[in-house]
Amino acid sequence: MPPENTAFMVAAYVVVAVIVVGYAVSLLLRIREQRKR
Amino acid sequence: MTLRERGNRIARLGTVVTALALLGLAGVYVRAIVYTPVEAAQGAAQKIFYVHVPSAWAGLMAFVITGLLSILYLWLKDRRLDLAAAASAEVGVAFSAIILTTGPIWGKPIWGTWWTWDARLTSTLFLFLLFVGYIVLRGVLTDPGIRGRFSAVIGIMALFLVPFIHLTVYLFRTLHPAPIVLKPSRPSLPGDMLTTLLLSVGVFTVLYAGFLMLRYGLGLLREAREEELADAP
Amino acid sequence: MGSTFRAAWHIAVKDLAIEWRTKTAFASGLVFAVLVLAVLFFSRDPTTVSATDIAPGAMWVTFTFASMLGLNRAFLIERELRALDGILLTPAPRAAIYWGKFVANLAFVGAIEAISLPLFVLFYDVPIWQRLGELILVIAMATVAFVAVGTLLSAMVVRTRYAELMLPLLLLPFLVPPLVAGVQATAPLLDGRPLSDVSGWLKLIAGFDVAFVTLAALLFEVVLDE
Repeated sequence: MPPENTAFMVAAYVVVAVIVVGYAVSLLLRIREQRKR
Repeated sequence: MTLRERGNRIARLGTVVTALALLGLAGVYVRAIVYTPVEAAQGAAQKIFYVHVPSAWAGLMAFVITGLLSILYLWLKDRRLDLAAAASAEVGVAFSAIILTTGPIWGKPIWGTWWTWDARLTSTLFLFLLFVGYIVLRGVLTDPGIRGRFSAVIGIMALFLVPFIHLTVYLFRTLHPAPIVLKPSRPSLPGDMLTTLLLSVGVFTVLYAGFLMLRYGLGLLREAREEELADAP
Repeated sequence: MGSTFRAAWHIAVKDLAIEWRTKTAFASGLVFAVLVLAVLFFSRDPTTVSATDIAPGAMWVTFTFASMLGLNRAFLIERELRALDGILLTPAPRAAIYWGKFVANLAFVGAIEAISLPLFVLFYDVPIWQRLGELILVIAMATVAFVAVGTLLSAMVVRTRYAELMLPLLLLPFLVPPLVAGVQATAPLLDGRPLSDVSGWLKLIAGFDVAFVTLAALLFEVVLDE
């Protein structure tokens, strides 16, 4: 019986998604700011 | 092509590549969570492996590329090399953040402790801190020539630092083996798991490329803006 | 080659002469060393952690932080005196500037360590006299590492407004290998083990010294280019 640690897996996958998407968004926003003015 | 046009072009390309990579990442998520078997001894937490290891690969690649671009910049003095090195450094910091967060989340259930002071985590920690310093330094230096040269110095030294940190941890571990609460045996990855890992590595590589293009494009656009402001009457 | 040596020597002497006249960096380094030793001594449970247990760590942390303080002050003084511009106008080869500063910083940090060491023995009651030679070897090797990278980085950082903050931020990651090796080599020596027991750590510091002294000397010119 494998140990019950799915919560850790979910936490990690969520963290990765947040950082990846968050960084992508920050890049796009900063680029947009440069294009505007 | 003007600086602004080039910046826009690379930013657009970067957006496409990043979008593709994000789709790929979603695919890897599905494959890892649903279609890859759970490892019997370690449980579902073992699957963190599929995002942690590729991040480590991407992070290492980012910092090595920064180091190499730094050397090229000092040699060829092309400002674009400096912008590219800085872009790679920032992307490396992002991937390091992933490594430093998923590492403990993986470590706790698998190794029994949040932080394991192994070679990879330790190197990543210090590289992360060093390149945060790199970014801060760039922030306080206003002259682009000085900024480029000083950044290059840090980037090159970081390249040489990594093997020494690895050596330090290796020596430390050899002389003081840590008692490990749970001891997962080195899994020889069966086919399915290996495929998932390789797919993930591929996706993270594309993600690195996409981020790099976006960040480089941003750098070019900022430089274009500086020039425009300087030329304005 | 000869002119480099002579120029470096003059720069080293000048640096130390300036410091001797002001003595502020030296004094602050020393005060800092005493404070760190004291704080580390009191920040433990004396019933479970003996002074000899934390001694190596305390000694090396003290050396590290006192060195950083010293490295930074030395360059700040120079900036205030606008001395760097003067040196750049001379025909002295650029490499000489690095070696001159390296030697001056080495002497400076060495002096702080030389005075901290008896204080350390005093506060922690460690039996270093039998192993003094070997200990000094380890300390010297690690100090070379600190100063090699520290000289380069402080030259970079002195231009910024936040020099005191940027130097530790950038320098500390580089100090990890020599610092860890230094502590790991010191503990067995204080325990009475032979030098051969810590040869692995010594080789690590030696390799680091060779790599980073070379690298820093080569890169220093980049930092000075106007």
